[in-house]
Amino acid sequence: MLNIIKSFSSWIIIALIAALLPMMFDSYFALTLLSKMGVLVIFTVAYNMLLGQGGMLSFGHAIYFGFAGYVSVHILNGIGGEIIPYFPIVLFPIIGAIVGASIGAIIGYLSTRRAGTAFAMISLGFCEMATAFTLIFVVFFNGEDGIQTDRVVGPEPMGISFGPQVEVYYLILFWTLLTVILMYLITKTPFGRMSNAVRDNPERAAFIGYNVRHVRWIAFTLSAMFAGAAGSLHAINYEHIGFESVSVVQSGQVLFMAFIGGVGHFLGPIIGAIGLTYLDSVLLDITEAWLLYLGVTFAVIVAFAPGGLAGLIVMHGPIARTNKSLLIGLIKPYLAAIGSSLTGIVGVIGIIEMLYFKSLISKGEGEIIIFWTEFNANGIFSWIIFIGLILGGIYLCKITYPKAKEGWDHAISVVKSEISL
Amino acid sequence: MDAILFNIFNGILYGMLLFMLSSGLTLIFGMMGVLNFAHASFFMLGAYFAYQISEFVGFYPALIIAPLLIAVIGAYVEKYGLRRVHKFGHVAELLFTFGLFYIIEEIVQMIWGKVPVGYHIPLSMDFSLFKIMGMSYPAYQMFTLAVSIGIFVGLFFVLAKTRAGLIIKAALTHPEIVSSLGHNVPRVFMVVFGLGCGLAGLAGVLAGNTLGTDPSMALFLGPIVFVVIVVGGLGSLKGALVASLLIGLMQTFAISLDYSLNNILEFLGFSVDLESLWRILIDITISQIAPILPYLLLVVMLIARPRGLFGTRDV
Amino acid sequence: MLTKFIKIILISFTIFNFTISAKSSDTIKIALIEPMSGPLAAIGLDLIEGMEFFAERINKSGGVLGGRHIEIIPFDNQMVAEKTIQQLRKVIDQDIRYVSQGVGSNHALNIIKTLKKHNKRNPGKEVMFLNHSAVTTAFTNELCDFYHFRFDANVDMKVAGLITKMASDPDVKKVYLINQNYAYGQSFQAAAQRLLPERAPHIEIVGDELIVPFGKILDFTPYIAKFTASGADTILTGNWGPDAARMITAGANAQLKVKYYSIYAGIPNAMNAMGSKISTFTPILQITESNENDPNHPEWLQEIEAEYTAFSNKSPYADRQRWMLDMFAAALEIAGTDDPTAVGFALEGMKSRGANGEVYMRAKDHQMHFDMVISHISENVEKTFVYNGENYGMGYKTDGWVNKEEITLPSTCEMKRPKNS
Repeated sequence: MLNIIKSFSSWIIIALIAALLPMMFDSYFALTLLSKMGVLVIFTVAYNMLLGQGGMLSFGHAIYFGFAGYVSVHILNGIGGEIIPYFPIVLFPIIGAIVGASIGAIIGYLSTRRAGTAFAMISLGFCEMATAFTLIFVVFFNGEDGIQTDRVVGPEPMGISFGPQVEVYYLILFWTLLTVILMYLITKTPFGRMSNAVRDNPERAAFIGYNVRHVRWIAFTLSAMFAGAAGSLHAINYEHIGFESVSVVQSGQVLFMAFIGGVGHFLGPIIGAIGLTYLDSVLLDITEAWLLYLGVTFAVIVAFAPGGLAGLIVMHGPIARTNKSLLIGLIKPYLAAIGSSLTGIVGVIGIIEMLYFKSLISKGEGEIIIFWTEFNANGIFSWIIFIGLILGGIYLCKITYPKAKEGWDHAISVVKSEISL
Repeated sequence: MDAILFNIFNGILYGMLLFMLSSGLTLIFGMMGVLNFAHASFFMLGAYFAYQISEFVGFYPALIIAPLLIAVIGAYVEKYGLRRVHKFGHVAELLFTFGLFYIIEEIVQMIWGKVPVGYHIPLSMDFSLFKIMGMSYPAYQMFTLAVSIGIFVGLFFVLAKTRAGLIIKAALTHPEIVSSLGHNVPRVFMVVFGLGCGLAGLAGVLAGNTLGTDPSMALFLGPIVFVVIVVGGLGSLKGALVASLLIGLMQTFAISLDYSLNNILEFLGFSVDLESLWRILIDITISQIAPILPYLLLVVMLIARPRGLFGTRDV
Repeated sequence: MLTKFIKIILISFTIFNFTISAKSSDTIKIALIEPMSGPLAAIGLDLIEGMEFFAERINKSGGVLGGRHIEIIPFDNQMVAEKTIQQLRKVIDQDIRYVSQGVGSNHALNIIKTLKKHNKRNPGKEVMFLNHSAVTTAFTNELCDFYHFRFDANVDMKVAGLITKMASDPDVKKVYLINQNYAYGQSFQAAAQRLLPERAPHIEIVGDELIVPFGKILDFTPYIAKFTASGADTILTGNWGPDAARMITAGANAQLKVKYYSIYAGIPNAMNAMGSKISTFTPILQITESNENDPNHPEWLQEIEAEYTAFSNKSPYADRQRWMLDMFAAALEIAGTDDPTAVGFALEGMKSRGANGEVYMRAKDHQMHFDMVISHISENVEKTFVYNGENYGMGYKTDGWVNKEEITLPSTCEMKRPKNS
């Protein structure tokens, strides 16, 4: 018994911290953001069941997310208009899960006949079709406007009406923990392992006797089911559902999150979902160039760290386990490398922000606020500062990067020698 | 009869535009398996470059210079970007081009602003060549048609009759063997990628002035290109041509068909209560769903025959 | 290893609270939620700039309520419905009591519905919506709300204005209706179908079409063929963006000689995209609240517009922003407080000055009424349109005015009003 608690201790601590967060962040916006993070954590982990564990790249996962949202909104409105008997809001994700699983089973049946790029293209085609459907079949989807709803309906058990955002947050937190734990347990089952096997070597899996197609189909359906659960929570959170939730853009977003977080590890998508949601909501008020930064970050991570953030961290696992002091020894060169990169990056950001400013706004004065300080975009001085930072950064990087690499190589070689001992 | 001829002619015009846009991508996709999400971005860059260059020296120089510039940029992207990512697999390549798409879009906005730019048909070709059904066709459209036919013929000739084309075709189906025969396959890849991007850029030069040149071009045109190359078959130029024409004709004819299920039901003798919930489903005319038809075709093709019409390899 | 990392992240989150805190100065804030990135960013940014200009004018001449300034705080919604709701929640957190928006009626719908719920759940903390451009007629009919004020004419009014002009235009005998197949386009179509037989019974409707919206249609030649085959001499359309520009370009290329009666087909962005040859090939008419080239354009307005051009490097276009802020300031003075309920009562029935006489806010449904001018794009104008320093070489030439009485339409609004303290 104690062992179980010990192995789950990390989870329990995380759950506790998450439960206490509303004490620190109690504004409407912050709670909405936290709620959104929860929803997207479910969605991204569900998506990773397909991508990371199943090896299937899908551009159409938003279909299950969005359609579950539409059904949920209709039912909520039905309850509000007293056309349908009351169904507790707490159990709505089950509705979403059913919707997701049903549609997922159908589309999955059609898609899993193929693998790899064909599969990806089919999912893209379905997604475009689904988006078009939502825009055309106005009676059910209400086209461009989407559908609004009121989540304060029906009796209020224990005084909980889900009007206040904090109550929605706890609802979402509960379901996030529940679904994530479920998905984690699935990875530990034989089915989960088979999914991995099919991902790594479908031919061999077939030779052992497993029906590759069936394994994929089941993985697809399960993944869609959890995505559907996320979708209904999404609708409750925003009291609105629109065609964007079904679109390729939404699918792309969850793909970003999963990938940047790291598809190779179960917790990767969680990191990705939380981090990117945060950046996405906060960055866009700070800078107009946020899409550019997102694109560059993405390209850089894909090119240099395709294991995502989780991959980067896990890479250091063996070092930490072998000898903690090695890890500490790496901190200095890492910090130096990061510092010099930051110098260059600050310079680049400064230039980009000023370019944006000049191209978009042509007011008389040239004041712009970058990094909480005021610069004059029309004066040569600001440009010189940032270009200087870029050049300085490049120079520093040339010095610190090899040192960091040295440190890494050294640490790894120590690890290797310890292992072979 | 007139109307049918008109629709056929129009469908071909539209189809050839699609072909120009997708010819490059089918080569890239077919050879390297790289699903270049940023292909339409190069199309957009071509249009913007052409706009900028024609502001200085006119349209005809732009017609030559812009695609070349884009081809060079494409080659560099392949050499310093894609090649690095190649070893991480197809998913990584695809995601890299995803990021590239955003980057190009933002850079275009930074330089030229977010408003559409005034890129227009060159005056020298802006006259009516002939009329069909009371509608005149400007000489520029015929020029575009001629160029796209020329591209097809030129590419076909290069691939089928020249040695370079032979190597490219071989690398399409058997890259490892070609490499072991001593050919510099990475260099072939770079050239093909650059060529593909250059073709997209050329399409941008020719179509940017009729479709409108603004930063969201790539977003609108991207998906349809994928439909074309998948339906046509990867790596098959012939397939891309046939698929483009098919989709062009399909969409043109669909728009002129104002019939809906309702009409068919009425024809068969049923009358449907137009107030019912299913009204929308039945009342939709084919012309209203014309733009979705390509995606339907995509899904059907991928399920039934993933190789596409003329593909040499399974997708 | 990874879970430890997550723990660290969560703890750092609680330490670094990045929520943007409200400036605690004594200004009267209007949150402006518009697209600042993405395809419609140019329109959004221009509108933000206009609002800031007109607010500054008021501040410079003494401000309101004893010297307080009006502050415009822009929020980016990236034209995503979810973001609009999210930003709205941020606005509510920051205790901002006034929200403005206009680009995209579906976002306005979201704001209206979200504020309805918020105002109901939080009496005493009401937030008012100052709608400057969202033209869906329902907002001042079945969806009307005390805390919503619309400062632009709605779709039905604009269509009525266009048709009134068409009725007296000898060139118009056969009209072809073409619109975008979503809420806005459909309401344009419905209004046209209703008002044409009413106001212009001699005009024959020779075609009526809905197209898939938002740039999905690349090739408009088949539609041009339909226009030609029908013998239409006029196209009545609500199309905007690429759906308008491509259609008109295709028409011009095919030498189609028709008149376009529209709301948004001739906006400055479109003029530039199409170029002077196409924009002036056949008359493109549009209906707006002001035209700087009008022969009777008042002096006082010309002065203000000159200031605006000096500030923004653009020609004036959206005069309604001026009277919106002027009336807002006047209402604050009358109410003597910045409380939205009092300001709302002050705004009802308020008058202001427009380019062709008096303009007023109808108390019954909070719909603004004003004379409207029909103009077409021409190269023979005194003031050609200038945008960010670039001169387009063409401008708007008045064809005629429609009095506000002619476009006053009945409303089904039954508004519940709060108590006027």
